[in-house]
Amino acid sequence: MASPQTSAQVPVTVLTGYLGAGKTTLLNRILSEQHGKKYAVIVNEFGELGIDNDLVVNADEEVFEMNNGCICCTVRGDLIRIIEGLMKRKDKFDGILVETTGLADPGPVAQTFFTDDDVKARTRLDAIVTVIDAKHFFGQLEQGSEAEQQVAFADVILLNKTDLVSADELKKVEDRIRGINRYARIHRTEKSRIELDAILDKGAFDLGRILEFEPDFLHSGHDHKHEDEVRSLSITADRPVDPDKFQKWMGALLQIKGGDIFRSKGILAIDGAPRRYVYQGVHMMMDSDWGTPWKDGEKRSSKLVFIGRNLDADNLQRGFDECLK
Amino acid sequence: MKIDLANPAWQQTLPPARSVATDAPVAACAFNRDGSTVAFALGDGCVRLLPADIKQAAPEATAPLHKGVALSLVGDPAGDGFVSGGDDGRVLRLAADGTATELLAQKGKWIEHLVAHKTGAVAASAGKSMFLFRDGEVREFGPHPSTVAGLDFSKDGSRVACAHYGGITVWSLSKEVVLPPRRFAWQGSHVALRWSTDGKFIATGTQENDIHVWRVAQATDMRMQGYPAKVKSLSWTADARFLYTSSQPVFTAWPFSGKGPEGKPPLQFGDEGAGLMTVVAAHPTAEFVAGGYDSGELQLGDIRTRRSVVLKMADGAAITCLAWSPDGFRLAVGNDRGDLLTIDLRR
Repeated sequence: MASPQTSAQVPVTVLTGYLGAGKTTLLNRILSEQHGKKYAVIVNEFGELGIDNDLVVNADEEVFEMNNGCICCTVRGDLIRIIEGLMKRKDKFDGILVETTGLADPGPVAQTFFTDDDVKARTRLDAIVTVIDAKHFFGQLEQGSEAEQQVAFADVILLNKTDLVSADELKKVEDRIRGINRYARIHRTEKSRIELDAILDKGAFDLGRILEFEPDFLHSGHDHKHEDEVRSLSITADRPVDPDKFQKWMGALLQIKGGDIFRSKGILAIDGAPRRYVYQGVHMMMDSDWGTPWKDGEKRSSKLVFIGRNLDADNLQRGFDECLK
Repeated sequence: MKIDLANPAWQQTLPPARSVATDAPVAACAFNRDGSTVAFALGDGCVRLLPADIKQAAPEATAPLHKGVALSLVGDPAGDGFVSGGDDGRVLRLAADGTATELLAQKGKWIEHLVAHKTGAVAASAGKSMFLFRDGEVREFGPHPSTVAGLDFSKDGSRVACAHYGGITVWSLSKEVVLPPRRFAWQGSHVALRWSTDGKFIATGTQENDIHVWRVAQATDMRMQGYPAKVKSLSWTADARFLYTSSQPVFTAWPFSGKGPEGKPPLQFGDEGAGLMTVVAAHPTAEFVAGGYDSGELQLGDIRTRRSVVLKMADGAAITCLAWSPDGFRLAVGNDRGDLLTIDLRR
């Protein structure tokens, strides 16, 4: 990320995934690897994990509703306090890992990094990493909305325990994941074994790096979906964006549809601006900043990504088109 | 007090001060009971002690008390030293001779808030509970609906109020007459709490950039909005006529005398150029107030004249704590870079 402001912010990686998917194994891998970096780890099940790290902190999962009348706007009060406390330490660290419990909705965790001024000033949400148990994924989808939400929120997905399923089953799981969230990078793993630079310091905020990996659209075969299913879509524009019109439209859109839009991200070519304007949002909350400069002669196009429920691609595209110069 | 903000000498020169540089952010500062020693709680777990008299040579006195961060600190109301709390879950009593005694150990909890009362009692927050230390005994109060995020004694020390999600809880501390806790409900996360110096009001700062005040006797309440940030620092004047709050560019005081603050704007004064006020501390006896900014600037204000002077120039490191000596002649200041400052206001 080119912005000077973000360099002082500690990157936060949120680890999510169903119970038994392999989060703790991954966490221990991250901490035991010889990378010379120091991570603070915030967990919910203190003492049971056997994580070997001086900087493990217990969180209580205190989910607070924000008082703006919106049911989807919640934050984690314990995270705010813990991050404020960690910033008082003399020994600084290179990153923060937040492990959520297996049944948790990642929304309140992610929203905390967009909402609280102090947290925003000191940290940046680097990526939401979701670990998926390839063998039990379909069963977990049937048990409730958590597994689907964890996929929807993800920037990076570890499709784990691939050794326990056939190639055919694996393909089906992957297709289902793609049906929900086609913009997350998927890594197939066994025992959560993965190169750390594939999950840490991803700069999710700099969407350009993520969209490099955007898989082709041919993957789908999912056009006959129910309206209420969680899925992802993107809309694009080649003409420059009028920032005022965009702000108005996006503000109104998130106000009405924020509960259904789990994640939104975008890179905008703002009329007359030399740099990309990047944003990411969780439900109704979003954060934005100037990104890398456009190169000379580079095609200046804008792209928005939505992951959520009841998304109407034509309607969104029409709205966006009206924000163009 | 010889503090006269209208005097040109006051406006033009910075007061004498002692500054000690450390490399750990300062989480809290306090004077001991008789005002002879000032202490700073640091981000490396140490509590640093200095003579309050800035001309007195400072012996090296650093107590490595906590593993992690020393988060909270008060002067010991029952001794000559201090009481400290850490993110190691321990509450320690530090005597004047440097020896430490453990009052509490709560593994996995952070001791984020400590308050002391002149009767000798100390209260600490630890997770969802509040612990009371008095006459060599420890009592636990709680659990509260969420982590205790602010607490304070009533004027006479007979009760403690605790802030949490959804409101506050007031505990009666008497062992003879056991009263159920009183809950004052207001939605949202309350992240700071101060009981007024006359005992009539309890004020909280909330996660959502406003403050809430309850009248303790009537259980009625009021809400003040319009802050650009969370209000984490609240301070009542000695006479309880005003409540000062942080998180504005200037001193902000809500009037509580007469008909109170309802429907009125707060009194605001001071130099606007210093950024956002992070900590505010009303003088223990007179009508002065100290405010520390996120820019590092420190101002002293006088509500009678609405004048303010700069006591410390902005240097980029946000002020994290302020404490007045009991006699009100000295001010301790800490910042997030690790500078320990003691200012002498007598001229």
